[in-house]
Amino acid sequence: MTGLSPTDDPLTGPFFEAAAQGRLVVQRCNSCKALRWPPLSGCPECRSRDTAWVDVAPTGTVWSFVVYHRAFAAELRAHIPYTVLMVELDDGPYLVGRLMDGAAPVTVGARVVAAFVDANGVASVQWKIA
Amino acid sequence: MATPDNVVAGRTAIVGLGHTAQGELPGRSAEENAVDAALLALADAGLTLDDLDGLVACKSVQGQGNDVNVGALLGVNLPYVQSLDYGTCNFSLHLAVMAIVSGMAGTVLLTYGANARSGKFDFGKPMYGADMASTAGLVHIAGRAGLALQRHKAIYGTTDEQFGMLAVGQREWAQKNPTAIFRTPMSMADYLAEPYMVDPLRRSDVTMISDGGVALVVTTAEHARQLPNPPVYISGMAEYAGVRGEHNPENLLRPWLRDSAATIWAGTGLRPADIDALYIQDPTAVWSLQMLEYYGFCGIGEGGPFLAEGHTLPGGSLPLNTHGGQLSESYTWGWMHVIEAVRQLRGQAGERQLDAPEIGMYCSSHGFVKAAVSVLSTNQSVGQ
Repeated sequence: MTGLSPTDDPLTGPFFEAAAQGRLVVQRCNSCKALRWPPLSGCPECRSRDTAWVDVAPTGTVWSFVVYHRAFAAELRAHIPYTVLMVELDDGPYLVGRLMDGAAPVTVGARVVAAFVDANGVASVQWKIA
Repeated sequence: MATPDNVVAGRTAIVGLGHTAQGELPGRSAEENAVDAALLALADAGLTLDDLDGLVACKSVQGQGNDVNVGALLGVNLPYVQSLDYGTCNFSLHLAVMAIVSGMAGTVLLTYGANARSGKFDFGKPMYGADMASTAGLVHIAGRAGLALQRHKAIYGTTDEQFGMLAVGQREWAQKNPTAIFRTPMSMADYLAEPYMVDPLRRSDVTMISDGGVALVVTTAEHARQLPNPPVYISGMAEYAGVRGEHNPENLLRPWLRDSAATIWAGTGLRPADIDALYIQDPTAVWSLQMLEYYGFCGIGEGGPFLAEGHTLPGGSLPLNTHGGQLSESYTWGWMHVIEAVRQLRGQAGERQLDAPEIGMYCSSHGFVKAAVSVLSTNQSVGQ
């Protein structure tokens, strides 16, 4: 049990299935059209549970970032140091993701573009400087 | 929204304090630590278990210490008993005050116990169920707190030296506190020489994990005046819950702290300058930076320069976490902050005693969703 991958959870699985196809998706409320992240079984704006997964532009701006120099889980040890970004997508929602290994130093406000990476058989969305 | 009448002001008081040693207490359960502290708190209040008619048991982060387990070890049946998932003591204190003011109980015991250190709890696990961010490696509270601080640094120009005043200052206070676990002197140069753990946070910016139990006894103002210790009245209390969580814009900045702040100032009629001793629950020093700003002790974005001026250090105009807080004293999810506030107001804080403080304030939060604040005073009329 890694405790780290919700890829099999029906609520969050579609994100990873899309990533495997090179697409960035978030939930959209079919009633009020609000985009939401992270996934939720209903819309916090209008309470509708009629939900679709829709493609969004794979581009955004770095809202903030951290660099891990300590591994808090065994699976992360090989990745140290690694950088995690909070990205404000051009389409609205905020998304957390890893900066691609070997990428240039990042700053708040930097433009980034999604990269679709196979990490040990699991599709993941990472980010590189645009 | 402000309450037109501050109906709680001066009606209840903290009359008993108890805590175990803080540190590594192997072989003792969370409940046992809570009960050990409870018996000390009752003795401090000059009361016995027979005087209680309420119990509010706060569960540890690991879910231990609920009311049925603590109640069984205490061996009591009572008219009012609750368990609470939220730590920091503020939420427990507010429940006790509500129970007393409503008449459901007269004298309430509050308990908290943890054994996360000797139990080797894994704080790298996702804290709130299925967590998309953990797939990117955003684990441990230092990750999200670090994102908030990095944003603060980028927007307002906050420097490591300014932010480091929190960790350095709390270590300075802790040296005057025999209960504190981290008492080795730490200069700013020592702090800056420490490597980043999760850049922009160093190890010293993040709470330690320790075992321990803490308990308080709260009763009516009338009863409090008949007991041995000077009553410390609850002058005001407020909460605000940003339970939309990550669906709030910029939720890592925890903007809803502003709402509990507005309510406490409006309700009590006090201003930041009235606070003689300030306590901020601090799993990371980022929480202190945010709450200094949202509660109006300095302007939004001005926390860095404010800290650099030294106000929060021993001898400063706004003594902050005079016991050393979670960074240097002990963990206890913020409960020891209330113990220290009451000790200072009673005049029982030994070497670190402030000059006759009359009003203390304790600000806390539960993760990225809830804010709570209490004002405490030896003067019953404060807040009325």
